Amino acid sequence: MSDPITLEIIRHELLSIPNQIERNIERTAFSPLVQEYKDYAVGLVDPEGALVCQSRGSLPIFVANALGTAVRSGLALYGAENLQHGDAVISNEAASLGQHLNNVVLYTPVRDGATLLGFFAVLVHWMDLGGMAVGSSAVTTSTDIWQEGIQYPTVKLLSRGERQAEIFRIITANTRFPRLVLGDLEAQIAGCLLGRDMVLEVLGRRGAATLGEAIATMRRQANAQAASVIRSIPPGRYTAESYLDDDGIRLGQTIPVKVAIHADGENLTIDLSGLGAQMAGPSNAGRNGGAVAASRIAAKYLLTPEEPVNQGDFDRLVVEAPDGTFLTARPEAPIAGSGNTIPTVVDTILRALGEALPARARAAHHGTYGVHSMAGRLPRTGELFYNLDTATGGWGATAEEDGAFPLRSNAHGDVPDIPAEMQEALYPYRLRAKRLRPDSGGPGRRRGGIGVVKEYEITHPCRLNLKFERGQCPPWGLAGGGEGATSQVAIIRANGSTTHALKGSFDLVPGDAVHVISGGGGGYGPAWQRETELVLTDLAHGYISAEHAAAAYGVILNQDGSMNEAATHARRQEMQS
Amino acid sequence: MRLLVAADTGGTFTDVAVYNPASGQLGFGKTLTTYADLVEGVLTGLGETGAAPAEMALLRHGTTHVINAFLQRRGARTALVTTEGFRDVLEIARGNRPVPFDLSFRRDPPLVPRPLRFEVPERIGADGQVIAPLDTAALAEVAGQLQGVEAVAISFLNAYANPAHEEQAAALLRAALPGAYITTGTALSREWFEYERTATAVANAFVGPKVAAYASGFATRLNERGFTGQLAMMGSNGGAMPFPAAVERPVSLVESGPIGGVIAAAEYARALDIPRMVAFDMGGTTAKCALVEDGQFEVQSTYWVGGYERGFPLRTPVLDIVEVGAGGGSIAWVDPQGRLRVGPRSAGSEPGPVAFRRGGTEPTVTDANLVLGRIGGANFLGGKLALDREGAAEAIMARLARPLGYDAAEVVARGVLDLASTLMAGAIKEITVARGHDVRAFTLCAFGGGGPLFAGDLARSLGIPRVLIPPQPGNFSALGMLLAGARLDVSRSIVADLSDAGMATLSAAASAVRQEAEAAAAREFNGAAASLRALAEMRYRGQRHTVLVELGAQISAPGIRAAFEATYAKRYGRSLGDDFQPEVVALRIIAEAPAAKPALSALAPSASGAPAPVATRPLHTREGWVEAPVWRREHLPAGFCFTGPAIVEEYGATMLLGTGDAATVGALGEISVEISL
Repeated sequence: MSDPITLEIIRHELLSIPNQIERNIERTAFSPLVQEYKDYAVGLVDPEGALVCQSRGSLPIFVANALGTAVRSGLALYGAENLQHGDAVISNEAASLGQHLNNVVLYTPVRDGATLLGFFAVLVHWMDLGGMAVGSSAVTTSTDIWQEGIQYPTVKLLSRGERQAEIFRIITANTRFPRLVLGDLEAQIAGCLLGRDMVLEVLGRRGAATLGEAIATMRRQANAQAASVIRSIPPGRYTAESYLDDDGIRLGQTIPVKVAIHADGENLTIDLSGLGAQMAGPSNAGRNGGAVAASRIAAKYLLTPEEPVNQGDFDRLVVEAPDGTFLTARPEAPIAGSGNTIPTVVDTILRALGEALPARARAAHHGTYGVHSMAGRLPRTGELFYNLDTATGGWGATAEEDGAFPLRSNAHGDVPDIPAEMQEALYPYRLRAKRLRPDSGGPGRRRGGIGVVKEYEITHPCRLNLKFERGQCPPWGLAGGGEGATSQVAIIRANGSTTHALKGSFDLVPGDAVHVISGGGGGYGPAWQRETELVLTDLAHGYISAEHAAAAYGVILNQDGSMNEAATHARRQEMQS
Repeated sequence: MRLLVAADTGGTFTDVAVYNPASGQLGFGKTLTTYADLVEGVLTGLGETGAAPAEMALLRHGTTHVINAFLQRRGARTALVTTEGFRDVLEIARGNRPVPFDLSFRRDPPLVPRPLRFEVPERIGADGQVIAPLDTAALAEVAGQLQGVEAVAISFLNAYANPAHEEQAAALLRAALPGAYITTGTALSREWFEYERTATAVANAFVGPKVAAYASGFATRLNERGFTGQLAMMGSNGGAMPFPAAVERPVSLVESGPIGGVIAAAEYARALDIPRMVAFDMGGTTAKCALVEDGQFEVQSTYWVGGYERGFPLRTPVLDIVEVGAGGGSIAWVDPQGRLRVGPRSAGSEPGPVAFRRGGTEPTVTDANLVLGRIGGANFLGGKLALDREGAAEAIMARLARPLGYDAAEVVARGVLDLASTLMAGAIKEITVARGHDVRAFTLCAFGGGGPLFAGDLARSLGIPRVLIPPQPGNFSALGMLLAGARLDVSRSIVADLSDAGMATLSAAASAVRQEAEAAAAREFNGAAASLRALAEMRYRGQRHTVLVELGAQISAPGIRAAFEATYAKRYGRSLGDDFQPEVVALRIIAEAPAAKPALSALAPSASGAPAPVATRPLHTREGWVEAPVWRREHLPAGFCFTGPAIVEEYGATMLLGTGDAATVGALGEISVEISL
């Protein structure tokens, strides 16, 4: 048994490795998706695929242990004895990973001779791997998995250090952007092998027994911390519900999101059997990438948000859901938009947990990835281009604080948007504005965060793909707080007509404009209780308009812009009763 | 006498270094930083060295003024003028959540609130073409609303490709708002990314008026005392900037303090022919490290004020440095999960470590060092501060050992030091491994009050075979400022591949930027002849991050490709072959002019003969307690060799040799140590 100080030092050494590899990959990757948008995860898993640590920038959506899930498939297929030093395996298999095929996990064993210590793994969003739409996951109309791209169902890319040229040829032939995808893949391979070597270096200094002990201790500590929060939840069953707009095929037919949480002082059970059935369109996810991912994200937010992610965080989490819901979709289901529903489901779980732990309750956020991608051909060279961006919007208020803004969804993490200057330099369209959206924050004693308006001006033909949610179910308020504004997208045609849509693919021509308008967060507490000074500050900042101040907050202005005390008082009295 | 002087105002101490070219002598002074009146601390420090202002030919000043103004958000009432549609870019930032599971995550609010952000119609395309002219009537209207504003930042979309509208707007606002501090984004950075450039312009305007007042107050106070020499501030890129340039670009001063030590480390790397060096500086609250390769340190183009997670970016050339919250004053504690932790809180100088007997109750890294005999109780700061070993041991027992279930302070003290070392080793790995370098190929050059104490442990844990402890480690930053020359960096975003057309673009841009750099150098270098270096920021087409490639006098495609591939392979293991196209995305011209400076030989050992240890004391090593000899550094002559375990003491620093480490005193006063790995 090693002393606790040594174990703590090893913990730091292990935690720092994925963070360093993350930087290394960012610096060597090729696509803006990896370098700027940072769509990846880096981590170390144990010999059974349990997560030991993951880089800080890894997106929340990957805490379901996409890395470990891929490793478990490999162990089942090859057996541990056939995963040797220098082997590197890729997988994006829908049946096990259950997230859109662009998320490709690459992993390599970490071995001390005969002893398998774990795997170093790197997930990268590959820019394109075939299918109906440029960018693969951009597809909005797929009805089965085969329309969404190629699957690499656990394939050795390197065998004992030897590159498997056949596999590289298959990869090259199955992407619209071979240069970018192969460039990113080089960064992914190099980062994965370097990460393995850094773990081996710790192993060399500490020995396998001590390293194993440190890894076990990390899990035990994470478990104990989660346990202490779970014990603070009053035993009981807590429920919440919301709904999604539609499946993208039968537009306007809403889909239920009903969740129940059962706390018994020892474990936390998240029951997702009230989710709608598997959809016809691509907003499904498989069990690991869907139900388990959403539950784990929510649990991590509530239980030990400040600690690095570890399998022990989830040892007391039970996820219940039958097969065939939209987050436990069958292997053949379309899943190109596997992340689309997650922010809403997570928000709904948090809403139920908020009943259990009122001090941590928070109104809903804008609640959608809000994917809006542009694809087409560059006018001068005819080359294909593809730009993927997602929405940033308002977050929900709490009893103490106004909602933050504008930020990515709760399933996204350190994902910066793509600068307008970069888009204009690389792609044939322009941005006319990128501004805050007044009056979009849910009114409340504490106001919800506000959304953003981006206006695109189309100068050459291209195709817009949209996957938004929450057009129907506004971000809810709490404790009497109001709803945030919903997301909207307007396509303003050169001929003067306007189309509103949240999902679908649209061919655009020069002269068209697209307004991408993100939602606001929900408010907390009755709006008439908001201190008038704060309402006036919001007015001065243009976060709210004078009309909104009057209608939502009961703050009435004089001609000169100062507050009309008497009228405000009277109006607020009315609102109160 | 025409003295060369450097004054470094740090968080705890103000350090002064004085060089007398006539005698070849170097002198040093150290005094507490006086927060209420920073100039006072400099004058006191100068007084300690006996140097009179009238005798000074030049004074270089490093200051934490700018970074503190940002961190405390104390600056001018600042307005921002942007392209119509983009005034909120400053507040929207990039929308990312760098702390992934924090539901209450939010960024620090922008330096300019929304009511002071204005828009004017104008538009430049990504190719630099004017799409819509600047609406001067609209701008005049904005100017009317800016009365009472002290500073204005102007940042237009795509201005990196054509700054004409920004310059036009600046001229109009200068005329309309006499006395206001006006800055444009493109005067500071000609690189793309609207949020980063706008944040830089805003930051520059925010601190501009205060830096202008500080600089003129500083000059006045010195002039009153008969000073007639040149005044310069230390830029974060390692160059000394004349006061007027510093006032124009105060964001360039953001890492004005730490740069000195790295300049000095680079000077030693060149003098001793050390191709790869990690410069490591450990002070009271933080440890910092930077790379010195082939005698040069690297300069990065984006710096985060207040940290990446919640802070804002500056696009300005800043020494590439990694910092961690581990210093002598870092507090050790036991967290609710029963884990021993070190930092990031620091006891600073008030109340300081328990051992200082100034009211500190929480054990620190310094307390652990004292308990293990690594620093002496009687001769800390030359004996000015007697340290309380029993008090330190009791605090470690009570607050750390008992809660963790240990019955001896020393085991836990060792744990505190090991944890601090792990954090610092993490920073060194980040500046090497995360940037594609093999740390074992580097020499560790350690300075600052704590650097020489930890260098051996760090080198051992990182597999670094060689450590260098330069002379005057406690005054190294001020020394480095004396060694600095004048430097300015001019860079420009251009995109050029290796085709004939690309090479023509690059050549044309290179000569234009070269001329601009020459003109700026003529203005700022007081007539010293500038030498120019041309570097290209290159990457494979599609990559975002770049590597810096030195451009020769002749710009040719094969030459550039070869240089790029060699640099890339050195950095990332291998280059990627002919399927991938290299391209140039920015051109950087570095103009430098040497200045009169001390020769390192001024610090050569003056001792001769066979030295003897002045004492022995119990030292806790990895092998347990040993009775270790204590050497005074000033007793050690050049060529003297000794082995660890050993302790070397000097004013402001203590150096340790582990068992089996072999040290040699060099001709320039440096001690090189072969680490027993």
